[in-house]
Amino acid sequence: MGIGLKVRPLALLAGMAACAFGLSAAQAAEKHKIFLSMSYIGNDWQAEAANMVKAMAAHKSLADKVDLQVQVAGPNAQRQIQQINAMVQSGAEAIVVYPISPTALNQVVKNACDKGVKVFAYDAEITEPCAYNVHIDQLEAGRVTAEWLAKKLNGKGNIIAITGVPGTSVDDQRTKAAKEVFAKYPDIKIVGEAVGMWSQAVARTELSKILATRNWDDINGLWMQVGCFTANSMQLEAGKKTSELLPCAGEGSNGGRIQMLPEGTEVEGAASPYAPLGAQRISYASPPYSGALALKLAVEAIEGKDVPKTTILPLPVVTSETIKLCDEGTWAEMKAGCNAFKPSLVSNPGWFASIFSDQTPEIGLAAALVGQPEE
Amino acid sequence: MSSAALPSPASSGVGLRRALVRNSGALIAAVVLAILLFIVDWVSAGPLTYFDVSFLSSGGATSALAAIGQTIVILSGGFDLSAGAAISLVNVVLASSMDPMAPGASVILWTAAGIGVGMAVGAFNGFFIAVLRMQPIVVTLSTMFILQGVTLLVMDKPGGFVSPDLGTFYLGDAIANWLPMPLVVIGVVLLAWFWLKGTRFGTALYAVGSDADSAAAVGINVVLVRFAVYVIAGGCYGLAGVFISAQTGSGDPLVGNPLLLSMFAAVVVGGTRLGGGQGGPVGTVFGAYVLMIVVNILLVLNVSAYYSTIAEGTILVLAALAGSISHASVLAVQLRAARARVAAWRAGILPSQLERVDRRLKIARPSHDQRSEISPRPAFRLRNAETLRYALPAYVCLIIIVVVTQIWLGRTILNPGYWNSLLVLSTFLAVLALGQGTVILTGGLNLSVPWTIGISGIILAGMVNGSDAALVYALPTVLLIACAIGFANGFGIVYLGISPIVMTLATNGILQGCALLYSQGTPAGFSSPMLRWFMTARLGLVTPVVLLMVVFVIAAVLLLGRTPFGRRVYGIGNGLRAARMSGIGVERTLILVYMLSAVCAAIVGIMLTGFSGQASLGMGDDYLLPSIAVVVVGGALITGGRGHYLGMLGGVLLLTALQMLLAGTTLPYATRAILYGLVVLGAVMALRERRLQ
Repeated sequence: MGIGLKVRPLALLAGMAACAFGLSAAQAAEKHKIFLSMSYIGNDWQAEAANMVKAMAAHKSLADKVDLQVQVAGPNAQRQIQQINAMVQSGAEAIVVYPISPTALNQVVKNACDKGVKVFAYDAEITEPCAYNVHIDQLEAGRVTAEWLAKKLNGKGNIIAITGVPGTSVDDQRTKAAKEVFAKYPDIKIVGEAVGMWSQAVARTELSKILATRNWDDINGLWMQVGCFTANSMQLEAGKKTSELLPCAGEGSNGGRIQMLPEGTEVEGAASPYAPLGAQRISYASPPYSGALALKLAVEAIEGKDVPKTTILPLPVVTSETIKLCDEGTWAEMKAGCNAFKPSLVSNPGWFASIFSDQTPEIGLAAALVGQPEE
Repeated sequence: MSSAALPSPASSGVGLRRALVRNSGALIAAVVLAILLFIVDWVSAGPLTYFDVSFLSSGGATSALAAIGQTIVILSGGFDLSAGAAISLVNVVLASSMDPMAPGASVILWTAAGIGVGMAVGAFNGFFIAVLRMQPIVVTLSTMFILQGVTLLVMDKPGGFVSPDLGTFYLGDAIANWLPMPLVVIGVVLLAWFWLKGTRFGTALYAVGSDADSAAAVGINVVLVRFAVYVIAGGCYGLAGVFISAQTGSGDPLVGNPLLLSMFAAVVVGGTRLGGGQGGPVGTVFGAYVLMIVVNILLVLNVSAYYSTIAEGTILVLAALAGSISHASVLAVQLRAARARVAAWRAGILPSQLERVDRRLKIARPSHDQRSEISPRPAFRLRNAETLRYALPAYVCLIIIVVVTQIWLGRTILNPGYWNSLLVLSTFLAVLALGQGTVILTGGLNLSVPWTIGISGIILAGMVNGSDAALVYALPTVLLIACAIGFANGFGIVYLGISPIVMTLATNGILQGCALLYSQGTPAGFSSPMLRWFMTARLGLVTPVVLLMVVFVIAAVLLLGRTPFGRRVYGIGNGLRAARMSGIGVERTLILVYMLSAVCAAIVGIMLTGFSGQASLGMGDDYLLPSIAVVVVGGALITGGRGHYLGMLGGVLLLTALQMLLAGTTLPYATRAILYGLVVLGAVMALRERRLQ
């Protein structure tokens, strides 16, 4: 550092900078320097997860322990590799990362571990053994939803499957597990399959394409990674009654959850199709709180507590039988069992509603929406 | 090199200056890189050590190597969209064929294998582009889809194994604590390039890129040169694929795809002109490292995540601007022209200040009536032979696809629902095709389409929030914002002289940041009932939006074919200088073109919001490449000047019908991607360029 200062030009500015660095260095000495390396933030899930991580860092239990810096790598694994390297260089104690690729980061993560940096991956997985992983069991997600649908159909019928982003492990595991279940029922036929890219808008376009040569009446059920909310709207537009909506196994968006409430339920701010329809659904998601939990675990790991390498989160499953509307969306209220939020609070139906975890009393609805921790 | 042959000292000074001017792009990129490195050093806590340099060099190596290949293609006047997919393919081929049990792996053997795969891809491209004389952009786009499918067939999820020996070799030190290996690899490739450039092939390459006709006239085998260019470029992608495999130690079928756009930015920041004939890979390498080091700058400055794309976009524009600081730059020329105009205005001799008197020479003009008697108007078929030749293939293929759909899936030709879906799903691309097509006709490209769509949809949904009355002010607001976006694009391109690709790429990043800031990550609001009705209801057999589409198509055809604006667009595309000389207000027209393009994207954003009922971040992501593809499939020339809106519309209908056919089948995604690529390739087979004389 001393040599660096000597050769640095603009002595005055350098002096000021050194002062500033000196100050921040003194503060940082008490705080743990933790970085968050996100992927592409141009979608709802990522933005929500980022809000929850920030809220966690701002919660009073962590605020004076953690100095969190957030960086975005975009969709490019190459950049994330470089970003993690740079984070290690600038003295990270822990790195919380949404891995763009489960394998491409292995070498850089190993390098970070060798330097004593704790690396926590959330939602997706890093296969390097020294990394900590926090995610749900994607195979279970595929299996549980497919079994629910098969049961609803009494093991018989034509279904449409909308998958996620091809070439990712998450999509591969969910789809494979679901197809294994459907294969056990010879009378269940997948008559249409499309790539939905985990987006309501794409799901809509793909369903429109499939339905151009088919009719809703030829279809008995839907298995989608994302898109049940949209599929229900499309059926209403096609003239179906709410009681005729097809059973749909799919994502945990708040729009879908509101549709699951019994028809006629009074809900503030509801407007069709973002309204109670009594839709037959199973709703699951990769919960967006995983990043916040990873941060919390990272602090525990830095403080020397024993943290398991793999934390499998419980699969948040809500069915038409367990759906319950929240009043304000505090953590305490969710703990009591509510799992859907009023449209007047969450105006975006694509917003992911699976934000409750037993392990994160620090964050509730306000955290996911605007990054504000619970009291 | 010619100056070295002259012994006089004076001329060697001239030679040096010429060399400086000729390589100014590369030099400026190098200076920008040096400045950025200095900034990183200055703001980060410690001094830059050898270790920093080593990991910086490996961080940018993959994109630098791939961008070298892209540069060579661009120098020859081509364009290669398959580069990212080729990298992914090489990566999964290596990762799936290496044996984890084997004790060691031969670096030379596997490198050769990777380069070989890349060259095979290049040969595939080269065959269609050079031998069959098809447009590079559509060939390589098809190749991209085919490769993505093949890649998923090789490996459908991340995994596999790449021997650590490769990593030790490629990421290690060439000379310990002095020279990292990635720089040596790039250096070797550049040395090979310098050798190549000195050969007859190198001269031929630049000649073909500058003017293929003249090159052919002086006896250059254009077909062979073009073919070789794609093979060499493929080799570079192959090496990039080997490098990323060594770096990651495993395979991932999606690893290369996001590298594509930044590759073009690297080429342009490095001073290579799109369209060919000028620049070189040295600048590109600096360009790639400039783009890469931005990551580190954002990190040390601790730029908030929401601002990061804005910062990146701004840095891209500044880097491009720095590259144009010279007496001959567009900005300087524009400033001088503005000064001249002000001086003329003071002196009162601006044309608009002069008295309006008819000063034309009094030469007897032939009367139109007499003329038409002498030569009768040729038949429609003859007059429009050129347009028909390029526009018809799309429609012929469309009919074939519809027939195949009928046979394969049934319920098509006599099913009004099919036609309605086809038209509704086509509207988005049909509107985009006008915006993107007009820009392409002027020889540009608009890469800011995705987030112009995104931000328009998000703002509209937020303002409307389910109320029909709010549409009255929300629609004009969104369209006005789009006008401003288009104006910013056009201003940067026309007055600051930034290349369209860089300018619109930067705008796209800035818009993404703005959309995130505006929505705080969760876009609020939803479409109003009327907008939803417009996009999804049925009036008898058709959805209301189909009627709008008919009006839109007529308006678009008239705009491009029957108005002075349309003629100016074609004029600029056929020759910028000729257009300027013939009195076309090039600046004003280009700005209008980019405004039109942004407004079209905004309309798509509005329609998508109505269609989905809500707006989402990233809703425009899937529309960039298709918007370019339909324009080219419809017979337009990517370098500008040729194309008809009805042809583009044919391209839209063809691609949409093809997607509907594939969606109706239960083929696996990989097979669908391959089929899609093959059909597009087949469809444009008829658009081959005429053989050079």
